[in-house]
Amino acid sequence: MPQSRTKHLLLTPCLATALVILPASYLPAKDKKKPGPKSPAVAQMDESKKGAHVLNRLAFGPRPGEVDRVAAIGVEKWIEQQLNPEKIDDSVLQARLSPFRTLQMDNKEIVANFPPPAVLQAIAAGRVPMPSDPKTRAIYESQLAIYKARVENRKQNGDADVDMRPPEMNDEAAQNNRRAERRKLMPSIMALMQKSASERTQAVLKMDPAERRAMIQALTPQEREKLVADMSYEQRETLLAMANPQGVVTNELMQAKLLRAIYSERQLEEVMTDFWFNHFNVFLGKGADRYLTTAYEREAIRKHALGKFEDMLVATAKDPAMLFYLDNFQSVGPNSLAGKRSGQARFQGARRNRAPNQEQPMMVEQPAPPVQRGLNENYARELMELHTLGVDGGYTQKDIVEVAKVFTGWTARQPRLGGDFEFIDRIHEPGTKIVLGQKIEEGGEGEGRKVLHLLATHPATAKFISRKLAMRFVSDNPPPALLDKMSATFLKTNGDIKQVLRTLFHSPEFWAPEAYRAKVKTPLEFVVSAVRVTGTDVRNPQGLVQTLNKLGMPLYGAQPPTGYSMKAEAWVNSAALLNRMNFALSLANGQVRGVDVSSQRALEGEVGIDNEKSLEMMARTLLAGDVSKETLATIRKQMSQPQYQQVNNPEMASPAPRGPNDGPGAVAGLILGSPEFQRR
Amino acid sequence: MPITRRVFIRNGALAVVGTAALPSFLTRAAFASPGAMGKKRLVVLFQRGAADGLNMVVPWGEDAYYRMRPTIAIPRPNHGAASVIDLDGFFGLHPSMESLKPLWDAKQLAVVHAAGSPDSTRSHFDAQDYMESGTPGFKSTEDGWLNRCVASGAGKKDSPFRAVALGTSLPRMLSGVAPAVAISNINDFGVGGRSAAASNTSGSFESMYAQSVDSVLHGTGQETFEAVKMLRAAAPANYVPAAAARYPRGRFAESLKQVAQLLKADLGVEVAFVDIGGWDHHVNEGSTQGQLANLSREFAQSISAFWTDLGDLGEDTVVVTMSEFGRTARENGTRGTDHGHANVMLVLGGPVKGGRVYGKWPGLDDRHLYEGRDLELTTDFRTVLSECLSRHMNTKELGKVFPRFDSKDYLKFIG
Repeated sequence: MPQSRTKHLLLTPCLATALVILPASYLPAKDKKKPGPKSPAVAQMDESKKGAHVLNRLAFGPRPGEVDRVAAIGVEKWIEQQLNPEKIDDSVLQARLSPFRTLQMDNKEIVANFPPPAVLQAIAAGRVPMPSDPKTRAIYESQLAIYKARVENRKQNGDADVDMRPPEMNDEAAQNNRRAERRKLMPSIMALMQKSASERTQAVLKMDPAERRAMIQALTPQEREKLVADMSYEQRETLLAMANPQGVVTNELMQAKLLRAIYSERQLEEVMTDFWFNHFNVFLGKGADRYLTTAYEREAIRKHALGKFEDMLVATAKDPAMLFYLDNFQSVGPNSLAGKRSGQARFQGARRNRAPNQEQPMMVEQPAPPVQRGLNENYARELMELHTLGVDGGYTQKDIVEVAKVFTGWTARQPRLGGDFEFIDRIHEPGTKIVLGQKIEEGGEGEGRKVLHLLATHPATAKFISRKLAMRFVSDNPPPALLDKMSATFLKTNGDIKQVLRTLFHSPEFWAPEAYRAKVKTPLEFVVSAVRVTGTDVRNPQGLVQTLNKLGMPLYGAQPPTGYSMKAEAWVNSAALLNRMNFALSLANGQVRGVDVSSQRALEGEVGIDNEKSLEMMARTLLAGDVSKETLATIRKQMSQPQYQQVNNPEMASPAPRGPNDGPGAVAGLILGSPEFQRR
Repeated sequence: MPITRRVFIRNGALAVVGTAALPSFLTRAAFASPGAMGKKRLVVLFQRGAADGLNMVVPWGEDAYYRMRPTIAIPRPNHGAASVIDLDGFFGLHPSMESLKPLWDAKQLAVVHAAGSPDSTRSHFDAQDYMESGTPGFKSTEDGWLNRCVASGAGKKDSPFRAVALGTSLPRMLSGVAPAVAISNINDFGVGGRSAAASNTSGSFESMYAQSVDSVLHGTGQETFEAVKMLRAAAPANYVPAAAARYPRGRFAESLKQVAQLLKADLGVEVAFVDIGGWDHHVNEGSTQGQLANLSREFAQSISAFWTDLGDLGEDTVVVTMSEFGRTARENGTRGTDHGHANVMLVLGGPVKGGRVYGKWPGLDDRHLYEGRDLELTTDFRTVLSECLSRHMNTKELGKVFPRFDSKDYLKFIG
């Protein structure tokens, strides 16, 4: 491509500056030898914006003082640190995560400690013995009682537990029953509440399962909170597990995700873990994935988030969470030993439906009828469409069927009981397959490895992944020149994600002024960035987990294999904006449950400074000063309102109580809810 | 500044609010806001969980129906309250849905039987997804058919309430490029709560978004506050339900009541969406009494109350119901039904030629059943919807609403 002389001239001083800033080792090798002429001339953003820019892109937004800190380290050096997370001390986060013991468990341990229905069924049928550890045993006993009651209830009343009607539809008789039950238990409730935390835990553990269940049901939500308020995390977890063991697993996973995003020093690793999880999406609400997702994220995603793409692809392909989510675990080759035995007459060819049999909450998903025990194309299709080549990646329906045959036998033995990956030859489709024009000779499990290699190194994959990364880090419509550079790196390095990101972070497109605050935040990015920038102390992330439900982005809650959209239009609508503004006000005024208001120094300002100074300070802290004149004028106007003046006059003997709409919290709330804060 | 339709609507709404201070018999006379007349509307109701259409609109003329459902079949008509309410000598309503019979008799309610999605999936999630995207078999469709319908219509950006869903989030059916609002409750749609100070905050946010140079947020922000203000000004909650409209308890009825209020307040609603879950009756479904009976009663009474409540607005309103798939023709071993294929759709409205069951009835004999177990599908749900859109909503570009689907074989239930 011919390069114009003018562009060349413009470019030189700019690159010279860059070279002064960058220690030579951080530059891609090519640029070291030939600085300049190959790159297109793209204007660069203001030097002073760069700190905020990288914190908005490689991190979930800045924390108080962090823009200055990154500037002091040097933006390029900070980027390089983030690309090597293993060298960053993250002990503060680790301390916050230490109570969540499920995070380090493998699937078998999770299943053993927090029994899912399949395990309870096995115990009820006498196939598996009860555990001996008293705490685990209490969890089992409690769950078994619930399980038995449910089975009994079904016999008598039908499918009561899949009744999806909201609680207000329950008839009055049931409500009256509950009230009567509560009156009966009131004396023991009072007695229980007066005990110390450890006595209370012991007392609850000692109750027989039916008694315990009746007690928990009789408590009001406030009392339930009070019951566990001063308990240690472990005591609380045990009690929670007795009521809902799966809930402990999913809660810890969701809470940990928020804590990591908010507090981890390894921000880029968190951003990339979030990115790849969304890319290789599984849905936490689908049956066994409730307890398979923890290990999936840890082993298949996080471990490879900055590693080799192919390693991650293989890890996801073999993970029980993915095998279950996209149904590959039950895909059977029609000409395999098992396929032939199960009756060729009943085999109906490839199933037409292609996405997972996902379970809606509270809905019973039917076990696949026997006629459907054949080839399942779901994984094959999503593997090519969503994980590697992209929808326009040049594969055909024929390729999908062939790939589905290749992956027959890639399964997990009893995924519902936490079983690991296993290749079962008996269900593997024999014969040679042709994938994207390439012959895959019959070779058992090796066929799948060959196909994954073929896909991971395919130019269409390089392009598709580069585009998606650029959409996360640059803009909804990234410039093609950038994608070419990234794809080239991807192919040259065999999908080394760290190298592809280096190319991205050193591209002029990444630093272009039009890239600055070009991305509309997703709800997750919005909530986490607001918590980070206010320096809030999150004691219990549960309130924030619920906020994300309300904002339409439940954690691990994307049902379709596409994951959540990264584009603005998916997240900008009326109800969503109102919810964002209301969250901004609640957060700034300490009204989000589990979030500590007393630490919100950034929002209080210093006593005695005037309105103008405090506004200026907040605009700097919360938005790195990127607040428009118009927004500032609007806030000034609100600060001049009588309510505001009254509440914030330090000379008044007893300041009026602060609501969500007045006081410095209101100003911070306005900034966090402003159009400017919706972008990163 | 020229007087736009929007300003007109808002002033119109305000004018009506003024009447709220009048004695109630006068405000009742103001039902619905005069501007609300003569505008085409579509209300889509989704029964999530796969409703048992064969027990809602019962083919009582089929002997096979009684053979296949020994414990859950609804007895043939003329056995009093415990039997089918006959519609046409072959089909009849479940007795718990008797509140819909007057609408049938008034020829406002039509039935389309053996209708649904042609995709063979029996997964709730996939099937709902296909019915909402309007592209069975294609998972990559990003938007929903109801949104595409609004997007392709005339009068873009007329009102932020053109497309409304009652609920906390926008359903798949309404997601897409056309503005659509999810409202969980019309009484708390706003910023900062309901105190006096909240209006300061709300005003501040409004002015920030109004002045923003951010093209995406500016537009949506404006729409949002326009919606908030319109809603506050129109105070749809003042439109108390018509005296004869007896809504049952429950979220579904409450949502329909709020849709009626939005329609009467003339907020420019063109399409509205409400869903009702709980139809997945694998075990002890019940016959004339029981789980299905209770839920069908709530469903039918809500629709009937909504229809009564709409009054004259019903003339330009069409209500259509759908569920992701039907249930097995035979009852299962636990006195329930499993996931099946074709189902029943109800169409209600002023322009509907009701009092008739439309579509080709495939029969319930073994040789006619889909995969030997389910009601065969003879009418694609998109055929029903296409007719509602083209003959009622005057949608011109049906190819954009239902790509890769071309049906002009309308059942002609809309006159």
